[in-house]
Amino acid sequence: MKSRISIKTKPYIMIFPALLLVVLFSYIPFILTLLNSLHAVSLSGKRLGFVGLSNYQRLFGSQSFHASLSNTIRFTLLFVPTNITITLLAATLSNRKGWLANLNQIFFFLPMAVGLSSMLMIIKMMFNPSIGIVNHLTGVHIQWFNNPNAAMALLVIAGVFLDIGFDFLLFSAALRNVPNDLKEVARINGANGFQIFRHLELPLIGPTLIFIIVTNIKDAMLISAPVLILTEGGPFRSTQTLVYQMYLEGFKSGNYALGSAIAIVVFALTFIALLALLHFERRRIYYQ
Amino acid sequence: MKTLRATLSTLLSLLIVFPILYSISASFFQYTDFTALPARLLPSSLNLSNYVRSFAESSLARFLFNSLLTSIVGTLLRMTISILAAYTFSFFSFKGRNALFIIIVATMLLPPDALIIANFTTIRALRLTDTYLGIISTSLLAPTHIFMLRQYFRMMSVEYREAALIEGCSDSRFLMTLLMPMSMAVVLTLAIHSFSTIFNDYLWPLLVTNKTSMRTVQVGLTMMGFSENLDYGPQFAAITLLMAPILIAFIALHKPIKESVSTRFTGR
Repeated sequence: MKSRISIKTKPYIMIFPALLLVVLFSYIPFILTLLNSLHAVSLSGKRLGFVGLSNYQRLFGSQSFHASLSNTIRFTLLFVPTNITITLLAATLSNRKGWLANLNQIFFFLPMAVGLSSMLMIIKMMFNPSIGIVNHLTGVHIQWFNNPNAAMALLVIAGVFLDIGFDFLLFSAALRNVPNDLKEVARINGANGFQIFRHLELPLIGPTLIFIIVTNIKDAMLISAPVLILTEGGPFRSTQTLVYQMYLEGFKSGNYALGSAIAIVVFALTFIALLALLHFERRRIYYQ
Repeated sequence: MKTLRATLSTLLSLLIVFPILYSISASFFQYTDFTALPARLLPSSLNLSNYVRSFAESSLARFLFNSLLTSIVGTLLRMTISILAAYTFSFFSFKGRNALFIIIVATMLLPPDALIIANFTTIRALRLTDTYLGIISTSLLAPTHIFMLRQYFRMMSVEYREAALIEGCSDSRFLMTLLMPMSMAVVLTLAIHSFSTIFNDYLWPLLVTNKTSMRTVQVGLTMMGFSENLDYGPQFAAITLLMAPILIAFIALHKPIKESVSTRFTGR
C-alpha cells in the first residue's frame, strides 16, 4: 500500500520545486504587483488601503510618465530597424566562402562574448566627450551624455552592440540554408545581388526575421541596464524609459504603488506586441 | 562586385569588433595615452600596471568569485530542477499533468524585469538580501528550459522507460545512465545558456546586494570608481581580464557555435 501511494505522489514531488518557484517568483509577484497598483502602499511595502485606479490616474497625468512612455516607444522605433538593418547587412555581406569571410563572421558574433556591463562600460568610456576615442578619432565634439538626441543615439548604438552577436548568428544560419542552386538559377536569369536578396533570400528567411523582430521589440520595451549605466535617464529625462522609471519609483523614491502601476503598463505593452506579431506571423505564407 | 562586397563586409566587421580590440589595447594605456593628439589606437608602452591596479585598488577578485559561485551553483540547480520537471512531464501520466505544465510555461509571458519590485519585497521579507541565495533565487526557474527539454525528451518513446523499469532499473538510474547521455547536446547548450544568463544578469543583483563584498562582477565593474575619475586604464584592464577567457573560447569554438545555432533555431 505504501509503495502505491509513493508511485502516485512521485510525479508531484518531482515537479514540486518547479511549481514552487513559479508560484513564488512569478504568480505571487504578479498578483502583488497588480494589487499594489490598486492600493496606497507604505515605504515598507505594506498595503494601506484600496484606492481604485487613482495610481493609474496619477501616472497617466504625470509628465515623467509621458516622457518614459514616449522615450521607450521612440527607442523601440529607432533601435529595431537600425539593429535589423545592420545585422542583416552583416549576415548578407559575410555569407561567402574563404578565410576573410570566416574572419568577418567571427568579428560579427564576437560582441556576444562580452558581458552586458563590460560592453556598456567600454561604450561609456569610448564615448566620453573629453577623452573618449570616438570624439578624438573622428574630430567631432558631440556631447554624448548632455545632448538629448545624442544620448538617445548612444542608447541605440549600445543596443546594437549588445544584440548583434546573437542576432547575427541567427540570420547567417538562416541565410546559409537558402539553397545555392536557387541563387544560381536567379543569377543566370539576370538577377543582380540586391534582387536575389529582396526576392529570394528575404522571403526564405522570413520566420527567422519575425523571431528576431519579436525578441528585439520585447528587449527594447524592457530596456533598463543601458539607461542605468550610460545615461541615468538624462539629460532632462530624455532617455528615461519605462523600466528605468519603475526602478526609480520603486527603489529610489520608495513609491511601490506607482512603480507597480508602471510594471502593469509594461506587461500590457509587451503582451500586445507579442500578440500583434503572432497574428502577423500566422498570416504570413511559409516557404519552408 | 566581389571585392566591393568583401571590402564592405570587412569594414563593417572591424567597426563591430572595434570596442573589443580597443579595450584590449587601452588596458595597457598610460593616463597620457588617452589624451594624446592625434588619438592613439595602440599603447605607448606595454606594461601591466593597469592590471595590477585593477586588482589592488578594487574588490575585483571578490566580485569575480561571487559571480562564478552564483553562476555555477545557479546553473546546476536550474538544470536539475528543469530536467526533473521535464522528465516528469514527458514520462509520467498523472492527474492535472497538462494543466500544471501550462501553469509553468505560461510564465514565459511574464518578463522578470517587470516583476522586480514585488520579487524584491519577497526576498527582503525572507531576509535574503546580501546573500548568494538571494542573488540566484529568481533565476532558479527557466520555463523555456523545461519547455525545450520536454520537446526533446518526448521524441523518445515512453516504452523505453517502461522496458527499463521492468528490467528493474530505477527512475534515477534510467535518467542518469540512459536519458542524460542521449540528451547531452541539448542539456549542455541549455547549461551554457543558463550560465551566461546568470553571469550577465545586472538589474536583479544590483537590487539585492548592498555590501561591496556581495556584489557580482557585472555590478561591481560599474562601481570600481576608476571611470568616474577618468582613470580609464585599470577599468579597461578589468574588462579585458574578464572577457579574455570567453573571447578565446568563442574564437576556438566558432564552428560548433555557428552549427548549433543553425540546428537549434532553424530545425535543419
